[in-house]
Amino acid sequence: MALIEASGLTKHYGPVKALEKLDLAVEPGIIGLVGANGAGKSTLLKILLGLVAPTSGTASVLGMDSVRETRAIRQIVGYMPEHDCLPPDVGATEFVTHMARISGLPRSAARERTAEVLRHVGLYEERYRQIGGYSTGMKQRVKLAQALVHDPKLLLLDEPTNGLDPAGRDEMLDLIKRTGTEFGIAVVVASHLLGEIEQVCTYLLAIDSGRLLQAAPISHFTRRVPVLAVEVEEGADRLAAALVAKGARARQDGARVLVAIESDALYDVVRDAVADLAVPLVRIRQERGRLEDLFRDDAAAPGSAQ
Amino acid sequence: MTDPKRAAGVPATAPATAIAAATAPAGSIYDLGYRHYNGKRNGRGYAMWSLFVESFRGVWGLGRPMTAKAAPFILAGLYALPAVVQLAFSSVFAQRIAAGDQLQLLNYHNYFADFYFLAFLFCVAQAPELVCRDQRYHVLPLYFTRAMGRMTYAVARLGSLALSLFILLAAPALALFVGDVLMQSDAFKAVGDELPKALPSIPATALVAAGLASLSLAISSFSPRRAYSAIGIVAYILLMEAIPAALYSIGQTGGGSWTDKLFVFTPVTSLIGATYWFFGQPLDPQDFAGSLTSGTYLVASIGSIVVATAVLVYRYRRVPA
Repeated sequence: MALIEASGLTKHYGPVKALEKLDLAVEPGIIGLVGANGAGKSTLLKILLGLVAPTSGTASVLGMDSVRETRAIRQIVGYMPEHDCLPPDVGATEFVTHMARISGLPRSAARERTAEVLRHVGLYEERYRQIGGYSTGMKQRVKLAQALVHDPKLLLLDEPTNGLDPAGRDEMLDLIKRTGTEFGIAVVVASHLLGEIEQVCTYLLAIDSGRLLQAAPISHFTRRVPVLAVEVEEGADRLAAALVAKGARARQDGARVLVAIESDALYDVVRDAVADLAVPLVRIRQERGRLEDLFRDDAAAPGSAQ
Repeated sequence: MTDPKRAAGVPATAPATAIAAATAPAGSIYDLGYRHYNGKRNGRGYAMWSLFVESFRGVWGLGRPMTAKAAPFILAGLYALPAVVQLAFSSVFAQRIAAGDQLQLLNYHNYFADFYFLAFLFCVAQAPELVCRDQRYHVLPLYFTRAMGRMTYAVARLGSLALSLFILLAAPALALFVGDVLMQSDAFKAVGDELPKALPSIPATALVAAGLASLSLAISSFSPRRAYSAIGIVAYILLMEAIPAALYSIGQTGGGSWTDKLFVFTPVTSLIGATYWFFGQPLDPQDFAGSLTSGTYLVASIGSIVVATAVLVYRYRRVPA
């Protein structure tokens, strides 16, 4: 049975077209839902949860209609909203236990599940402290815990890495990956950062302005060549020319040079070229895959775009 | 393939070690792996009951820091204080009654009329606590994406505040009852004498609790900020008490007589007037201007409860989640 299905799904907020004739059929797994801010990701999640009624078209979760069978869907879905959703003056244990009971778990089961889930997301001694004193990373863990506590079959995560530092982001992504693989729970992760999502997902949905851009297994996308961005204070044009002369696929982009990393030897080529030209180097970093790449057919191939 | 981060010159961040550290304490001994839950799942009624219990604890600050308990318990204590004092001195009063003194003691029927402002302050302090937090901290989506309906949510919150108010309002009546019984020499006979006088307290208290709870919660639900909600409750009650009174006095001097009908819109005066109906007591003309009867005030109070509850439910149908 398809995890999520939509046909002709349309949602208009007055003149704003949040979703426009969306057709989907997604199998269980870790599904990345990518799109720029305002692309319609949150609207899609809210329709699946029955929080928002579609203007036209239908959506279903595990074969249950999002409008007619909302309550049945909510029993088996865990939702982690994008924004803060935690009261500051209670402890994580108390809050998650309460949410478990609202989900229908009897008192003792709610306590047990809370302890288990908080351990899974990595909250230990601090779980009795008031949430108001938590770091953003800890709050995100509590948000994930409350979505997991009633053992859903599907997790809907809206921007789960929002506001996290790089270390926290990687931990959160690892948690999501473990949830999807070890726990056997289907996950939909909405994010505007393709680079993050592709680390954990098995399937990718890209939407833009409410329309479906791409829907394919992640393997379809990973053939992309990673890109190194070399930022220099001056002489980007000379560096680009030198790299092209050495056979690399490189392209000047303002004060940066984008180089396709086709082999490990390329790092040395870049280093030597920078040293030879003595260009003032600011930084070298791996480009996170950017959403725009999806919009072009020659995704992330800067050399060919020259 | 090499680690792209290291190759790209990004300092190796701590994720790998941090994850290891995060999972290590669970270790091989405690970590049983993720277990699915196959136990019982209760339905909507249970969710409502859970929210009701949590709300009730929230109103009284139970399970919260002492600062959260201060306001409700102090106000409830102050409201019951006069009755408790009478209870404490009942033996002294009993001697004076036996000696033939006529004592003007506290009565069931006008206790609320004398001390209503403490119950009113309780609402101002605790009603915003119940509904503003969830809006301010965006907790509502978590409720509404569970098997909890919007109406269920509103009713559970309202019920808990009404029950809290009932307890606050009923405590002094109970103290009065015990005190009055102790003042009599024959306790069994005293119970029989006092009970008919005390019993109307129960429906009267229930009405007042429902009236204050629905009104203050309906107003609170429109703002995520406690302060604004509190001001809103105070402003509404003061204005709706003052405007009919002002129009009534204008009407008196102008010779109009219908203006006393406006008193049905007063929130607190109506509730006080309605309590007299249950006790079968005449309205004190010092407190109640105009010619409205306690029965009219009772109808006005019930109308106010219905309207306020409808507004509350309507608000939770519309509130964005």
